[in-house]
Amino acid sequence: MKLKLFHSTVLLFSLFSAAASAQDDAVAVDRGQKTFMRVGCYECHGTDGKGNEAGTALTPDTLPPEAIANFIRFSPGRMPVYPEEVLSDAEIEDIVAFLESVPPSPDADDIDILKGLTPEGE
Amino acid sequence: MTSSSQKTKASVGRRNFLKTAVVAGASTALPTDSEAATGKKAASDSSSSQGLAAPSAEQMNMEASTPEQLAEAQPDQLAANTESGAAKSFGSDFMIDVMKSLDLDYVFSNPGSSFLGLHESITVYGGNSKPEFITCMHEESAAAMANGYYKAALKPAAIMCHGTVGLQHASMNLYNAWCDRVPLIAILGNTVDAADRMGATTWRHSAQDPVAMVRDFTKWDDQPASLQAFAESMVRGWKIATTPPMEPIALAVDSTLQEMEIGDGERPKIPRYTPSEPPQGARGAVRETAKLLVEAETPVIIVDRLARTPEGMRLLVELAELLNVPVIDIASRQNMPTNHYLNQTRQSGRLIPSADLILGLEVTDFWGQVNSVNRAEMTSEPRVKDGVKLITISVNDLYMKSNYQDFQRYAPVDISVSGDAEATLPALIEEVKEAMSRSRRRTLAEKEKIFRKMHADSFEESRQLAARGWDSSPVSTARMSMEIYEQIKDEDWALVSVGASERFISSWPHRLWNFDEHYRYLGIGAGGGVGYGLPAAVGAALANKKLGRFSVNIQCDGDFMYANGALWTAAHHRIPLLTVMHNNRAYAQESMLVQGTANRRKRGVERASIGTLIQDPNIDYAKLAEGMGVWSAGPIENPDDLRPALIEAVKVVKSGYPALVDVVTQMR
Repeated sequence: MKLKLFHSTVLLFSLFSAAASAQDDAVAVDRGQKTFMRVGCYECHGTDGKGNEAGTALTPDTLPPEAIANFIRFSPGRMPVYPEEVLSDAEIEDIVAFLESVPPSPDADDIDILKGLTPEGE
Repeated sequence: MTSSSQKTKASVGRRNFLKTAVVAGASTALPTDSEAATGKKAASDSSSSQGLAAPSAEQMNMEASTPEQLAEAQPDQLAANTESGAAKSFGSDFMIDVMKSLDLDYVFSNPGSSFLGLHESITVYGGNSKPEFITCMHEESAAAMANGYYKAALKPAAIMCHGTVGLQHASMNLYNAWCDRVPLIAILGNTVDAADRMGATTWRHSAQDPVAMVRDFTKWDDQPASLQAFAESMVRGWKIATTPPMEPIALAVDSTLQEMEIGDGERPKIPRYTPSEPPQGARGAVRETAKLLVEAETPVIIVDRLARTPEGMRLLVELAELLNVPVIDIASRQNMPTNHYLNQTRQSGRLIPSADLILGLEVTDFWGQVNSVNRAEMTSEPRVKDGVKLITISVNDLYMKSNYQDFQRYAPVDISVSGDAEATLPALIEEVKEAMSRSRRRTLAEKEKIFRKMHADSFEESRQLAARGWDSSPVSTARMSMEIYEQIKDEDWALVSVGASERFISSWPHRLWNFDEHYRYLGIGAGGGVGYGLPAAVGAALANKKLGRFSVNIQCDGDFMYANGALWTAAHHRIPLLTVMHNNRAYAQESMLVQGTANRRKRGVERASIGTLIQDPNIDYAKLAEGMGVWSAGPIENPDDLRPALIEAVKVVKSGYPALVDVVTQMR
């Protein structure tokens, strides 16, 4: 009986922890999305980080926060430099959480008007 | 109002004048230059063949007084006036005869008191045909329309405005035309004789030297003092404008001269117009260029405004195929077909640094092609390897004016051929054939396989990238571009404008559409002046209407708000044009730049959007269009709503009317 009670308690705790963790993740995703918009990442990378000619795709295969921080603190190219005073490491972690939550795009071959395109224009 | 009674009275009667006009009009029935160049006949009635129109009740009511009907009605009225002896001949009538002799199709204008005589002569004496008065909402729009018209029709049009306030408005798009090497004729009303200036407004609308304001970016100008001088200056100006380097010219036309009565026997002569042959590069320099091209292992050709005509594209393809040399097309005109395996524009970052010879054909900013600039760091460095041979063929050195700096940074080169590149290509091709041995030809032929693979790989990469964010809202620029293409690809389409830069939509059309004809793309507003896109598209669509082409304009929202009255012109003159709004609710380019500056200065970015976003309130472009009599749909935020809206819009355009689809888009 005691063992059953113990198992139930552990299960409840685990469920609670998972729910709390999921909630934390959702909060981080929401915060990350807001930061992504506020500091203007979306202007070059798109509102969901899918990228375009102005800014590279940030998702899928999002880089870890440290790699992103390293790049944007010392950007050598057209990308504006974001110092820590403008965008903190914690905010970058939130942005990564947001980018990892973005659902993947369809494949070109699954899109009717992209499927038949050829370089010869036929 | 005038002192015309003091002027010379000539003896040419109204009947003889009319006969002259009829003869001149008959001569204009011949195929235009552009029709001859494209080998296509003008569509006689773009609206009748489709039968898909869904015009509104208002539009149906407007049919009772279409410009075409008015044009047809005028000669009868004119004849009646002539029979009754009510009409005399005026200076402005003669000016219209001069314009008819040049086969001028259109005058883009809005009314002004300093050119009342010309206005009346166009619509009444000239029957509002050759030229036809196209009613504009702004002189800036008029200049952009003439710009777009030339690039589609390959034939100059005129604008007409006050020499003072009107020209002040028109000047920005005259500058765009200047930077774009577009010939147009600016006719500026002015009242030279102070004694003829009746009232304060006429004084305000007069100037000693009205062209002074735009002289830095017009090729030639005059203010003729007699009708004979007008005839010669108009023909001379036309000739100067259309000789490479092609540029706008301006004629200030005295209002008193417009009103001068012409009597019998003193009608001035209209000089014969003979176009000048474009200047060609010197044979020796061309031969040396050919020799180096044949010897080069990794040559690259860069083109910008090479193809003035379809022949330019054909010649470029011939040269490129002879040598199997990759072509980078900056595409201020459509120089190289995008479906050709030697169009390697997307590979410029790989090809230019490894080139051992770079040939620039009508490239305005050649320095910018062989150097890279770090805007943030304010530094630059060569992007070519040591020892690369640099050769240019262009009319750049025949083009200079000193004040405005669009001639770009000085580029040191090994051979500089001064001559029109399109006109020089036949000689270059001949010299290349001469210089190439059979074995060399075989060696170069082996490159074809490599470039075909590069071309295919590049296309496939773009196709895959286009899928990213396909279902995003706001709509991705790739989705918007490809949904448009899906609806127009089976038409004889032309992308008549993308505003100031195709990069604003991540260059999706040139990455995935098939630009296989010279007219498929007309370049951008070359001076970067905002307010070019929509009116230039309307002007081009007017030309394409006659040529039976389907015109599409991808329209940036910021640019739209500068000159949206051009939509009314399209509705009024029944100009079929599909406009699709790239509505990112921002001056996005500047937004990025301000953001970069704020970051560099470590001041945060929260305020970077002040002055750069077009939000709060959001603009409803569909309602704006509807208010000007244009069929519209949107704002569309769900990408799945785009296709049905475009299908309807294409039906409207094919029935002969303009249509606008407002798409809320990603920034780029």
